[in-house]
Amino acid sequence: MPKKVIQKTFRAPPKKKGTRPKKTEAKSKAIEGSRIGVFVCQCGSAIASVIDVEDLTGYARTLPNVVHAENMNYPCSRQGQDEIVAAIKKNKLDRVVVAGCSPRLYEPTFQRCVSQADLNPWLFEMANIREFASYCHQNTPQEATEKAKDTVRMAVAKARLLEPLKPIELPITKKVMVIGGGIAGINAALDLADMGFKVYVVEKTETIGGYMALLDKTFPTLDCSICIEGPKMVDVGRHPNIEIISFADVLKVDGYVGNFKVRIRKNPRYVIAKNCTGCGECKEACPIEYPNYADMYLGVRNAISVPYGQAVPLIYTINKDYCIECFKCVDACGAREAINFDQKPEEVEVNVGAIIVAIGYDMYNPEDLEWTGYTKFDNVFTALEFERLILAAGPTAGKVVRASDGQKPHSIAFIQCVGSRDINRYEYCSSFCCMYTLKHAVMLKEKYKDAIEVYVFYNDMRSNFKGYEEFYNRAQKSGVKFVRVKLENRRITQDDQTKNLTVYGETEDGKPISADVEMVVLANAAIPSSTAPELAKILSITLNKDGFFVECQPKIRPTDTDMPGIFLAGACQGLKDIPYSVAQGSAAAAQVAAVLNKPNWIVEPLVAKVNEETCSGCRVCESACAYHAINVEKVGDKQLAKVTEGLCRGCGICSSACPMDAITMPNYSDRQIAAQIGAVLQKEAKT
Amino acid sequence: MPLKTLKKDTVDALTLEWVLHVKDYKLTLDKNRCVGCQICTFACPKEAIKTEKQPKLSGEKARKARIDIDLAKCNFCGICDVLCPYGAINVALDGKHILSVVEKESFPQLVRDIQADSNKCSTNCVETEEACPLDLIKVSWLAPDGKTVENVSSAEGLKPKIDVQKEHCPCCRVCEIKGPEGVMHVRKFLCGKIGIHPEKCPEGCRDCLDVCPITGALYLSDEDKKVYPDERFCVYCGACKLVCPVDGALELKRTKIVHTPIRSGAWNKALERLTSPIGISKELKTKSSLKTRESVKKRLDLKGEQYA
Repeated sequence: MPKKVIQKTFRAPPKKKGTRPKKTEAKSKAIEGSRIGVFVCQCGSAIASVIDVEDLTGYARTLPNVVHAENMNYPCSRQGQDEIVAAIKKNKLDRVVVAGCSPRLYEPTFQRCVSQADLNPWLFEMANIREFASYCHQNTPQEATEKAKDTVRMAVAKARLLEPLKPIELPITKKVMVIGGGIAGINAALDLADMGFKVYVVEKTETIGGYMALLDKTFPTLDCSICIEGPKMVDVGRHPNIEIISFADVLKVDGYVGNFKVRIRKNPRYVIAKNCTGCGECKEACPIEYPNYADMYLGVRNAISVPYGQAVPLIYTINKDYCIECFKCVDACGAREAINFDQKPEEVEVNVGAIIVAIGYDMYNPEDLEWTGYTKFDNVFTALEFERLILAAGPTAGKVVRASDGQKPHSIAFIQCVGSRDINRYEYCSSFCCMYTLKHAVMLKEKYKDAIEVYVFYNDMRSNFKGYEEFYNRAQKSGVKFVRVKLENRRITQDDQTKNLTVYGETEDGKPISADVEMVVLANAAIPSSTAPELAKILSITLNKDGFFVECQPKIRPTDTDMPGIFLAGACQGLKDIPYSVAQGSAAAAQVAAVLNKPNWIVEPLVAKVNEETCSGCRVCESACAYHAINVEKVGDKQLAKVTEGLCRGCGICSSACPMDAITMPNYSDRQIAAQIGAVLQKEAKT
Repeated sequence: MPLKTLKKDTVDALTLEWVLHVKDYKLTLDKNRCVGCQICTFACPKEAIKTEKQPKLSGEKARKARIDIDLAKCNFCGICDVLCPYGAINVALDGKHILSVVEKESFPQLVRDIQADSNKCSTNCVETEEACPLDLIKVSWLAPDGKTVENVSSAEGLKPKIDVQKEHCPCCRVCEIKGPEGVMHVRKFLCGKIGIHPEKCPEGCRDCLDVCPITGALYLSDEDKKVYPDERFCVYCGACKLVCPVDGALELKRTKIVHTPIRSGAWNKALERLTSPIGISKELKTKSSLKTRESVKKRLDLKGEQYA
């Protein structure tokens, strides 16, 4: 005991004097902790079954400055937290260590807990004895206990030096940007706009609507897709709080939660948006046609046109790749004067407080899967091509006809899992193909009855979620033939005379099976958007191995990214069907509202601090920082590094890179880390 | 998903195709009719057509330039089809030769003013047929019942009928001038100037003559064994200029293209590339003076009505 007193008085007398007058730091009289409490968690049996918690607690009591140590079953529970608060008050603790699980999930919980006992939340330290000891050394309990002791000793050594910190408050711009105007983005935008926030919807293509606007019907209700989405698209277009920035790319995003600065390039449509009435007279005059992507290239559109009639905003676009510049459209437009062939790309900058990423997905082109015969055989289609064929407003006016002879097929085979569930291509399940195939099968069967033979070559039928299994039953009752085959050894051949096709497969017990059909539809994989990697770079968010955006926590934070203020919605986070995308759009909107409704954004004060005396303005930190959070600026006559607190993630790279030792990380100072290292190297605990 | 396209290159034809489900766009270049004149290259608004000079093999005649079309750039607008003097390019939609640029009046058609007066035909009108360097004229004899008579020995009681494949005719006027008098009447649609500087011509070179499809448009002089042009027959297609080995030895300029009336930016650009900025400014001037004349006339007519 005398040692502790000596240590305290020896090391910190001047600081002690200095900190005394501080008002709110009630219990932290000293910069160095003199009264440390250690709480060891049993975590049910997750810790206690391996580690001798009694021994560990006893050991903790022997550590310098520890005045209280106890072990309990769930300190994170309400009861556990109450006990900690009581112990802090009773023992007048000024530092708290919880030895338990990973700080990633529970540190904020315990910080709130200690602040209830009027202790500064940053005077709390966590020792991870679960992931670092009990989980990984299950078969060697004795050694695990020794390791836990080391971990606790380190935590106590650091806790002794913890400093009270004050959270940083940042202002918040009450606007939001939604990137991507598919069904997820549309819902997020409408929800936020209705809450009163200004919303910018940035859309890459000419119209919002996404893939849903291209579909004929939706499963399992067989509602007309555009009839449901169309009114929502119009609502977005007309909402006073929403501004659609279509045919545009996001170039750059600077700033941080509450204060993003987004640079957007509006690509030239060669049509002046405010003058275009959407009358379509220019289109009538245009002599040039080109393959329409919205029709999956089965149909055409004019060089000046909209991709489909329900486009929002209804502004015509000239495709200069095909336009011959005869200017017939200019004549047709006449006094409206909406056409401007000299339009240039225009860059705009908007300030927003939060961003929702809802860029959706792309479709895999199965051309390289040779067994499918796609593009080689005339009558092999992808699902989306089939969707455009069966759609009344599509290029064939809803007639399902073969490409080879324009005749209605009498038999048709749907092939599932083309490119997906294939470890050589896309390992994941595309999630909605089973259901849309059932939709197509039911539509064909109910329309043409016995005049058409419908086969579905599947491996597993995935009809989870509400009403889907019932829809599967409906398909079976309607006479669709389901053929279960292995994913390997499938192939399709063509009769060169009739252009009919034969689908071969192998049943689960290895028997060959085949069907002669007049048309084949492939359920090709849905894949991450081709623009995802670039956007990930722009937003400093991550993609998983498949190329979908990574959420902060897959179970309980599915719409957050690791970047505060940037949220995910829809298929860009992982493939999902319409209702799930809609729900996620609304979820992301609610999360944005939670951010924007705060008066200020509170940031953990664990951000880099620059010592202006020693900083030489050498810019080493600037290039070391991955978040562009530290920049050298001129202050007076000196070049000084300045930290943008909203951007700093507290990683400490600048601190270690700084040749002048001018950058410190609060509560990760050299002194604190050295103390931890000192503690772990200490073979035997001092008593 | 991907656009289905086809490109086929054979000895006789180059075929490009967009295979859409509801429409089929097809461009065919008839290599036998193509003379490698580069007009399509100039005409193409998308710069999709390349003219590739063919190296001359030693001891052999000069070869006409080869045409290649970039499928990624071609938009099947049919402007090359309209402008090819030899009708070597055919753009078809669903197998029909319908050109939307012409239908929608965003591009003119060439005026091939070819008239045949069969009454002037004499018994041996076969001369008219033979005069055509491109074999486009066919003379047949019809009996009074309208049936074609084969192996005519006497023209008595028969009526001659002259068929010209107009879409392939470059209007060289050889039939008019070299054929029997008064039978054919042809007006050129490409006008210009051609000149050869014999002093620049390499000794014994007749490359231009070898590729010229019009017999007589270029000829070998008996005196100095050099090639000279004959403006009467030249159609100013420019195939000769492309193979000329000496820069500036052969000069060719197009000044005017005779076409149906039009108001189109695409045409103005094509005209500028095919002739020169002077050519286009001339045409625009003519157009504006025509317009002025019309508007004055309109006013005068109006006045006349008022006074009446």
